[in-house]
Amino acid sequence: MSTGEAKPKLIRVEDLLQRTVYDVDHRAHIVVDSEKCAKCPKKPCTYLCPASCYVLVDDRIVFSYEGCLECGTCRVICPMDAISWNFPVSGKGVQYRFS
Amino acid sequence: METKFDVIVVGAGPAGASAAYTAAKRGLKVLLVERGRGAGSKQVFGGRVYAAPLREIYEGFDKEAPIHRWVRKERVSLVDGNRMVTVEYESDQAASFTTYLTQLTSWMVDRAVNAGAVFVDEVRVDSILRDGSGRVVGIDSGGERVYADIVIDAEGVNRLLLEKLGLVEKTRPSQVALGVKEVIKIGEDKINERFSVAPGEGVSWVLVGAVTGGMPGGAFIYTNKDTVSIGLVVYLETAVEMVEEPIHVMVEKLRTHPALGRLWADGDVMEYAARLTPESGYRYMPRKLAAHGLMVVGDAAGLLLNTGYTFRGVDYAALSGHMAGEAAVKALEQGDVGEENLRSLYEKPLLESFMVRDLRRHRGIEWFMSNPEFFKKYPALAAGVASKLFDLEGEAPTLLDALRSSAKEHGLSMFRLAMDMFRVVRKL
Repeated sequence: MSTGEAKPKLIRVEDLLQRTVYDVDHRAHIVVDSEKCAKCPKKPCTYLCPASCYVLVDDRIVFSYEGCLECGTCRVICPMDAISWNFPVSGKGVQYRFS
Repeated sequence: METKFDVIVVGAGPAGASAAYTAAKRGLKVLLVERGRGAGSKQVFGGRVYAAPLREIYEGFDKEAPIHRWVRKERVSLVDGNRMVTVEYESDQAASFTTYLTQLTSWMVDRAVNAGAVFVDEVRVDSILRDGSGRVVGIDSGGERVYADIVIDAEGVNRLLLEKLGLVEKTRPSQVALGVKEVIKIGEDKINERFSVAPGEGVSWVLVGAVTGGMPGGAFIYTNKDTVSIGLVVYLETAVEMVEEPIHVMVEKLRTHPALGRLWADGDVMEYAARLTPESGYRYMPRKLAAHGLMVVGDAAGLLLNTGYTFRGVDYAALSGHMAGEAAVKALEQGDVGEENLRSLYEKPLLESFMVRDLRRHRGIEWFMSNPEFFKKYPALAAGVASKLFDLEGEAPTLLDALRSSAKEHGLSMFRLAMDMFRVVRKL
């Protein structure tokens, strides 16, 4: 089937996160033990964190909490128990409007 | 001076707001505590709510609640690559509606406040307090303590407080699914036109197969007033093993799917959201739903029904909250908030309700939810049969011929096919 239309572009995750409103706290609400990450064979967080907070750079996991959607997936799937997970305080973090 | 309430509700989602509303309406002194800023700001769901339980709880619900569209069309699609087979059911009855949970929850919290509940936002509860003999007596937030005769735990699917109390174990991947969602604005008229619905009427659409890369789970599409909610749900246990590309890429592939994307291609993505949901409620239910001075409601209680073609979480949450609110009234009248009494006033009626009966009845769904073959082979088979029947170039085959040759192409014998179908029918 050919309609002659240009294939629509995928929005990159950093641009997707721009569509959502945050009030980012200067304190991280999630803390990751990178020494444990280094020993993790599968690193499922790099695929399943919907906000892509866990990124592989030179085989090491680089974590950032700013785009966190507060779903809790990383806490549940981490095979190394490397994540100290909590919600942000003082109403900080993601501010959903249309979900 | 020590502040003491009759009831403290932790978490202002549909369950917590409904618990607070019912308890406050019956004259109890209620504190509703929420970690988010304002009501509803941490709320995410797929997109539709069943109305009947909410009408029981909230007077004037249909008139006043923020309802976007009543669902009049139900679609289920099996997707194989760019092909899909869709079944549509249309009815003049509408049992459910679409909305934003952010709005619906905010409306519920307003009702609770109007009924007399005290609502405090931007407060993250760090622990539920117990006295020396293990009775729940209040909450702690950053060292500040507030006391109550009864605490209702409506903390949601991430049960940090119940884990801390030792009432549940840490959530396992086999117990929850990840939902990721985009809300796309295309305008009210365009929705009516493209989904062939009248104003105020909408579509609920579940898709299974290639949309999750064959992983157990599915995709959803709901029409709101002037937006559509689209997204994916994947079961974490199988996703951890099978995932091959980032979940945000998979959602974007759904948005740009050749057969679907044209419905909203000119729209703007307004919001990107994610949440966990109990996989099959029954499996996520704590061993007990009450302890001395404590009741557990909503997602924290594992109350979510997933039949594969429909999800019920919001109405279950609200109804469980409502039941806990009523139980609190009775327990305080009787002057007994002990575990045995709260279990008989709240847990027992809940376990006997249609909600838990349905959760039990649909447990068989877990078999094919955790059976990856189903999500790969059967959508391909269905699309193959349809292609043989409709993409005609020569002789038209009979339905049976088409089924037989498509089954063969996908490595399924007719016997195997019949056996699987038999099992599905029996399990459902």
